[in-house]
Amino acid sequence: MKLIGIVGTNANFSYNRLLLKYMQQHFAKDAEIEIIELTDVPMFNESDDQTNSPIIQAFNDKITAADGVIIATPEHNHSISSALKSLLEWLSFNVHPLDGKPVMIVGASLSSQGSSRAQLHLRQILDAPGVNAAVMPGNEFLLGSVQLAFDDEGNLREQGTIEFLETCFSRFQRFAKISNLLNIPEEVTFTPGTFAVTTPGHNGDLPMSVTLSKKRIEKIEIDTSKETEGIADVVFARIPQEIIDGQTLNVDVISGASVTSHGVIDGVAQAVKMAGANPDYLRQRPKAGTPQANQDEDYTTDVVIVGAGGAGLTAAAKTLQEGKKPIVVEKFPAIGGNTVRAGGPMNAADPEWQKQFPAIAGEAHTLQEIAAMDPETIDTEYRPDFLKLREQLEAYLTENDDQGSYLFDSTLLYRIQTYLGGKRTDLQGNEIHGQYDLVKILTDHALESVKWLADIGVEFDQSEVTMPVGAIWRRGHKPAKSVGYAYIEALSDYVKANGGQIMTDTDVTSLIDEDGQVRGIIATGANGQKVTIHAAAVVLASGGFGANTKMLKQYNTYWTEIADDIKTSNSPAITGDGIRLGQSVGADLVGMGFSQMMPVSDPDTGDLFTGLQVPPQNFVMVNQQGRRFVNEYGSRDQLTQAAIDNGGLFYLIADDRIKATAYNTSQEKIDQQVAAGTLYRDDTIAGLAQQLKMDPAVLEDTVTKYNRYADAGLDPEFGKDVFDLKVEQAPFYATPRKPAVHHTMGGLKIDTKAHVLNEQGQVINVLYAAGEVAGGIHAGNRLGGNSLTDIFTFGRIAADSAIHECLK
Amino acid sequence: MKLIGIVGSNATNSTNRQLLQFMQQHFSDQAEIDLCEIKDLPAFNEPADKTAPTGVQLLSDKIMAADGVIVSTPEYDHSIPAALKSAIEWLSYTTRPLIDKPVMIVGASHGSLGSSRAQAHLRQILDAPELKARIMPSDEFLLGHSLTAFAEDGQLIYPEKVQELEECFAEFVDFVTLTNELLKNRHVNAEHQRQFSWELDANGGQN
Ligand SMILES: Cc1cc2nc3c(=O)[nH]c(=O)nc-3n(C[C@H](O)[C@H](O)[C@H](O)COP(=O)(O)OP(=O)(O)OC[C@H]3O[C@@H](n4cnc5c(N)ncnc54)[C@H](O)[C@@H]3O)c2cc1C
Ligand SMILES: Cc1cc2nc3c(=O)[nH]c(=O)nc-3n(C[C@H](O)[C@H](O)[C@H](O)COP(=O)(O)O)c2cc1C
Repeated sequence: MKLIGIVGTNANFSYNRLLLKYMQQHFAKDAEIEIIELTDVPMFNESDDQTNSPIIQAFNDKITAADGVIIATPEHNHSISSALKSLLEWLSFNVHPLDGKPVMIVGASLSSQGSSRAQLHLRQILDAPGVNAAVMPGNEFLLGSVQLAFDDEGNLREQGTIEFLETCFSRFQRFAKISNLLNIPEEVTFTPGTFAVTTPGHNGDLPMSVTLSKKRIEKIEIDTSKETEGIADVVFARIPQEIIDGQTLNVDVISGASVTSHGVIDGVAQAVKMAGANPDYLRQRPKAGTPQANQDEDYTTDVVIVGAGGAGLTAAAKTLQEGKKPIVVEKFPAIGGNTVRAGGPMNAADPEWQKQFPAIAGEAHTLQEIAAMDPETIDTEYRPDFLKLREQLEAYLTENDDQGSYLFDSTLLYRIQTYLGGKRTDLQGNEIHGQYDLVKILTDHALESVKWLADIGVEFDQSEVTMPVGAIWRRGHKPAKSVGYAYIEALSDYVKANGGQIMTDTDVTSLIDEDGQVRGIIATGANGQKVTIHAAAVVLASGGFGANTKMLKQYNTYWTEIADDIKTSNSPAITGDGIRLGQSVGADLVGMGFSQMMPVSDPDTGDLFTGLQVPPQNFVMVNQQGRRFVNEYGSRDQLTQAAIDNGGLFYLIADDRIKATAYNTSQEKIDQQVAAGTLYRDDTIAGLAQQLKMDPAVLEDTVTKYNRYADAGLDPEFGKDVFDLKVEQAPFYATPRKPAVHHTMGGLKIDTKAHVLNEQGQVINVLYAAGEVAGGIHAGNRLGGNSLTDIFTFGRIAADSAIHECLK
Repeated sequence: MKLIGIVGSNATNSTNRQLLQFMQQHFSDQAEIDLCEIKDLPAFNEPADKTAPTGVQLLSDKIMAADGVIVSTPEYDHSIPAALKSAIEWLSYTTRPLIDKPVMIVGASHGSLGSSRAQAHLRQILDAPELKARIMPSDEFLLGHSLTAFAEDGQLIYPEKVQELEECFAEFVDFVTLTNELLKNRHVNAEHQRQFSWELDANGGQN
């Protein structure tokens, strides 16, 4: 029998240590007792998890492997010592090695009481659910007046005491054997068969079929067609595998895709229940696989890249093309970051291609407006380009009237639109616009990026030119396959096929900084191990900070308020880590106060595609009192600020015909959301108002007025002048909405070679940044479709600079 | 009346801290409650020289100067947190400021029981002769479901809990006055220095 003896104090001298040592040698022929000390155990603090420290891991591993534990407790102030209590708290927090473990309590104290009160407290503590040890009842071994109990060789003097200890110990051996039988996992028997279940996924129901034999979970098949490609893929690959490998439902959910993860686990649990077994037994089983060693890891490579989103994978692919070796470090289990979430095409002016498409109504007007701008209002660095563009536009407009003409574009138009789109003023009156040299690089190399991606393996659908949501011109190049994922899939395939390494579940926490010289990165691996990567160059491509509310609030200068509980459309991984890493070596930041919000997001999840999303001409937005508060046709920024001014939460009101114009949903989803209480439906406006806790008279009045304005084609209250449908056909709907964070324009200050600059404007050696982590390009507002262009362009530039400057 | 409130948690977010902050503000017309943190105290390790580290000495001085002490304890594994236990060990091992000091125990927990088992342990601990605090008997204030008990502005949102706390606190104000009146002529100095039988033993017995 292998036992662990814990000395219940951190004091230099302890009679309890003597007692355990005595037991160790006295019972050597019956049991191997290994004694562990508390001395190095840090004070428990739930805000500073140190479960992964070597000492707690050692306790965890040794106790898990042992047949039982003996705790020798002193008595401090009628209870156990804080040092022992601290250890037990660590062992009941994120790891639970004492769960079901046979425990024997002994105690020595200087008073005649022999730690009786401490032992009682210890029993109660070990019985708490987080600890849940199997403490041997009775057999209280209390050694009082202990200063007299041992002789000089450390042996107990009194024969009676020795005999009692022997009795207690032999009972413990039997107790441990029997208790450990209870730890053998419960037998589970299934009625064999294939069970069809449905379970909630992220985008609606996930149909699954689970095949069980008498003793085993044999096969898990999931209809994944509805889940978002890329984000949930890793769930479908990993979770069923772990369930089958370990024959267990005790599996870790995947960060960033927890809803789908729980969906899959719960689906299998349902099937297990249908097969007449108790899924709880499977949840109590150990996780799949032997616990991996958390050995520290050390690597050396040419270029290390932080973040496996679009910018990071682009830099990796480019590095490989140049014949050098990249390692991409990704903190999440799944690669792709915000890039897999991207819904749209990428911008690039390609006039020859765009020419094939006819112009559509209003486009000529947009061009006329630009041509008519007063050059004095254009910032000086852009003015020469503007004047040249004006010539182009005038030539085009005189040659072509609106009807029958072709779609115009040019690099200059793209550049000036990026500049105009990004120009904003914050609450303190500071004006910001895109930095000219960076915007020039972006717009000059955009098309090259499209062609480069095509070479890598992204297939573009050339039959259509689209305008990405939030863009102002039709120059979107759209991948043939599901947008964001198409880029990530092609890039990661390329990187893997050419011998690049992508390490997932590895969180970069610092840069290796040797006397002011960056030499690589340090990260924490999946098992808490330290991963060190030495490299000639470091590329930061970790995305923005849209999922870091604290940081958004810290820097915000644009919105009057950012709520503490604001949601985001971003991956939860996007927390500004790269910005912090850059700052740790003196990097300068630019434009940090400007963030982009999606005004019409789900108040609970930040999702864009729940509820009824209809074209803006059919939006009827009301505040929590049931009154309209904004021209629904306003820009994203206008809608967002109006929503903030009205307490954040607002509703989109629709009737049955408006519902039919929703482009994001189906009747099945609508019914589900109504049942779940995330979408409201009623046969009357008054009833809808009651559900929303509004005054029915107010909402009725709002709708009557709106319908009148729609008839007149003009809204004297807020100036809406584009209308389609009225609100008149029951049933009526209300979709709750709230602004959510969508993009952060600010970030590390870079130059045209993607160098990270310090506060003096100097290059920080061997440190590069690309993508949303960097600032300066999009300034106050990023145009839809421009981010993708940015990451694929600057991702290539960063790798190119790194290789030519650090590896030649 | 001058009281101190000891936050029995070292965590960054603690509903026990919120509870004391609420009491501080809610009873400001009856007492001045100074909040003390234990989170930066070193871990107790029985140093041979028996001197209190600075942080412990500061806490001890505040206790000495106060008319009474309120301890708000979380419950970790059916007992008080190690961090609070460590602070108490320091006090009992060095300066012993709690001797004869009127003490009120309160506590908050995320579950429904409101730290009842931790409070029972804390009573027994503070009753040990080396501590010898004068703990207010019978009244106990247990705040369950503490994560949802406080509004954003720090108010305790359950009216019946506020009333219960007001009653307990009124009782404590009387208890402090009475205890201090009763013990005002006692010279506790002797007790602060007293060697307990177990300590004498530890120092080699009485010979
Ligand atoms: C819902 C949504 C839709 C969008 N639609 C469009 C669109 O249609 N068109 C467009 O142009 N833009 C769009 N955007 C914006 C665009 O997707 C992003 O700006 C862009 O993908 C950012 O790319 P990136 O490579 O810089 O960062 P990301 O793709 O976000 O990748 C960053 C990666 O770094 C990892 N990481 C972070 N910290 C660490 C660390 N410490 N250690 C290791 N790894 C780390 C992250 O896990 C992530 O995988 C959209 C964004 C969202 C959220
Ligand atoms: C290691 C650990 C053990 C815990 N054990 C208990 C427990 O036994 N009983 C309980 O009610 N809450 C327990 N909790 C949960 C809360 O921390 C506890 O309810 C606490 O009293 C809340 O107070 P606080 O907000 O001041 O931290 C435990 C938490 C941790 C980290």
